[in-house]
Amino acid sequence: MTTWKRRTVVQGLTVGAAAASTTLWIPSRTRAQSEEISLLGIMPFTGPLADAGPNMDLGIQYAIEEFGGEVIGLPIKYVTRDSETKADIAARRTEEAIDTDGSQFVVGPWSSGVALAVSEVAKRRKVLHYFSGGTEEIAGGRCHRYSFQWAASPYTAMHVVMDEFLKANPEAKRWYLFVSDYSFGWSVQKYLEIAGEKQGVEFVGVDRVALGTSEWSNFITKALAAEPDAIGMLAAGNDAILAIREAYNFGLAPEVPIVTGWGLATEDFLQLDATTRENYWHGTNAYYTADTPVAKAFAEGYEEQHGVPPGYAATAAYSMTRIILRAIERADSTEVQDVVLAMEDWETEDWPGKIYIRPDTHQTVRDYFFLECKPESEMAFDTDFARVVAVSSEPQMPDEFNECEGIGEL
Amino acid sequence: MNPVLFFSALLNGTVTGMIYAMLGLGISIIVGLLYVPNFAHGALFALGGYTLVASISTPLGFWGGVLLAGIVVTGLGSVIEMTGIRRLYYVERYYKLLFTFGLALVLREVIILIWGPVGKTVQPPEFLRGVVDLGILPYPKYRLVIMIVTSVLVFATYWFIEKTRYGAIIRAGIEDQDMVSALGINIRRVFNIAFAAGAGLAGLGGALIAPVRGLLPDLGILILPYAFVVVIVGGLGSLPGAIVGGLLVGLVQAFVTMIWAPGADAAVFAIASLVLLIRPQGLMGKS
Repeated sequence: MTTWKRRTVVQGLTVGAAAASTTLWIPSRTRAQSEEISLLGIMPFTGPLADAGPNMDLGIQYAIEEFGGEVIGLPIKYVTRDSETKADIAARRTEEAIDTDGSQFVVGPWSSGVALAVSEVAKRRKVLHYFSGGTEEIAGGRCHRYSFQWAASPYTAMHVVMDEFLKANPEAKRWYLFVSDYSFGWSVQKYLEIAGEKQGVEFVGVDRVALGTSEWSNFITKALAAEPDAIGMLAAGNDAILAIREAYNFGLAPEVPIVTGWGLATEDFLQLDATTRENYWHGTNAYYTADTPVAKAFAEGYEEQHGVPPGYAATAAYSMTRIILRAIERADSTEVQDVVLAMEDWETEDWPGKIYIRPDTHQTVRDYFFLECKPESEMAFDTDFARVVAVSSEPQMPDEFNECEGIGEL
Repeated sequence: MNPVLFFSALLNGTVTGMIYAMLGLGISIIVGLLYVPNFAHGALFALGGYTLVASISTPLGFWGGVLLAGIVVTGLGSVIEMTGIRRLYYVERYYKLLFTFGLALVLREVIILIWGPVGKTVQPPEFLRGVVDLGILPYPKYRLVIMIVTSVLVFATYWFIEKTRYGAIIRAGIEDQDMVSALGINIRRVFNIAFAAGAGLAGLGGALIAPVRGLLPDLGILILPYAFVVVIVGGLGSLPGAIVGGLLVGLVQAFVTMIWAPGADAAVFAIASLVLLIRPQGLMGKS
């Protein structure tokens, strides 16, 4: 056991107090202008969405490499933490990274429910947080100056999915929905139902399913009994993959089309074979064939490095990091508040093409993609999974739906 | 509940329940001898599935791959027992627990290293794809085959343990290891065979379920809580309990999904909690 001498303790306390008082004395702006840019990637490396974490990590690393590891002449210090898809753990680890690594900019996590917890930390600790996910809360009811939403608004996304699917399948008016039972699923369900009702769609059944559900046979037989024209899949990640496999096993698919409202595209397609992808439709924020200069360069470089095209997780993390680093350049400052101001009301080009970051909600206004998987006979190469049916940023969410009652002060 | 949904829940619950029972049996045999839950059991289950993936496109084909999965994971179980578990028999049980937990993580990483982090879809043999009309509802052919194959495997294991001389030695080992040793039986060999058999059941289960659920490195982590619920409900170390527990968990999951979908998993864990409160030794375990 260590024996502490009284003098040692007093000396330690004195030095500590002096250091603390010096830090307090330095004006906040000088203190914030650190000698490095500290970026935190909070992402799931374990837990039900663990497949996303490593891909997000690769996307962030790619963006940092693209900047040569530095921005405005300062090195970028990149650290990661495992969110485990648990709100309490993600929030605690974000706080810990802010305290120990001085993280000023946070990218992630992956799950909407977890992101809301991280967003609260960002608000309290005044660090910039950029997230991509299905919850409308980040740019809605729980909006604030420090959190930004990269993904398209779920209102836009679900309208693109419903409208475009019905253009191709005008008779498919009876839908059965599988919905992830947390904030992501609730948001997309709400807007898919609004979009469907406008088109006269009848929702013949809705099952809200716990995140991480592995046994889907019972859900699929319920859907079979309802005799729907289409299955609306509002679950994500492995849950959706398991459900699609079971739908195929039970003969529900490909007879009945499956429409994923908000999916990962490439990551999802890689896990299914061509047979199970038949008659599979897919809405997504990112598909690697996006026809924009940044997307093309990223897809080419990423595939060269990793042998597979980038999926949604890698792409979102890449683009969010890239936008933050560009905003730091734009602000010519490392101070979080300056970078927030640089991002607000910003119209620019990035991975999705033309984007606009709304100052009143922090929603990134951008295109959403709707895809139809190709049958094996039409695939020109292994990863030629789907054709792009539509790319659109319309309709935008009407103000009456947005619950962001004021973005607040810095 | 309409008859179609009732009948489908019954079938789905039985198929899932038999898979759980296979896992539960393996865990029960190992728990009975080692006195610790084998946290690597789920990873061995996943490894069985991945062995099938590796062999399905070889001349072995699907059923040869399933058999190979059983053999490979049985062999691996034997090696794990000989090189790891055996050294920990006479130390605190927590060491065994930590060892199997660490082993689960290592096996998961090995799967990622060999097969990558992206999940895989496995198709059953051509003639078992699609559905068969059972009159009241169409049902996947492959699921019916799983029900038959797992039932045969589960009851064969039960028969072996309950009705054969070697099974009697294993049961005696579960009851009183010192007495079995005193009778001149090589208890280490019994341990090794029992651990390998438990692992083999997991490997076979993983291979059989692969066309239903597909494969991903975390498959073992996802399935393990249900396997533990099975042995908690059935009774730690009880072989008939593992079968009853497996079927009960599968059926509860199926019927609750039909009635109140969001509560399906919660119901499974609620049953485990209830059993622990009312009958801690499990439905068929000894107090």
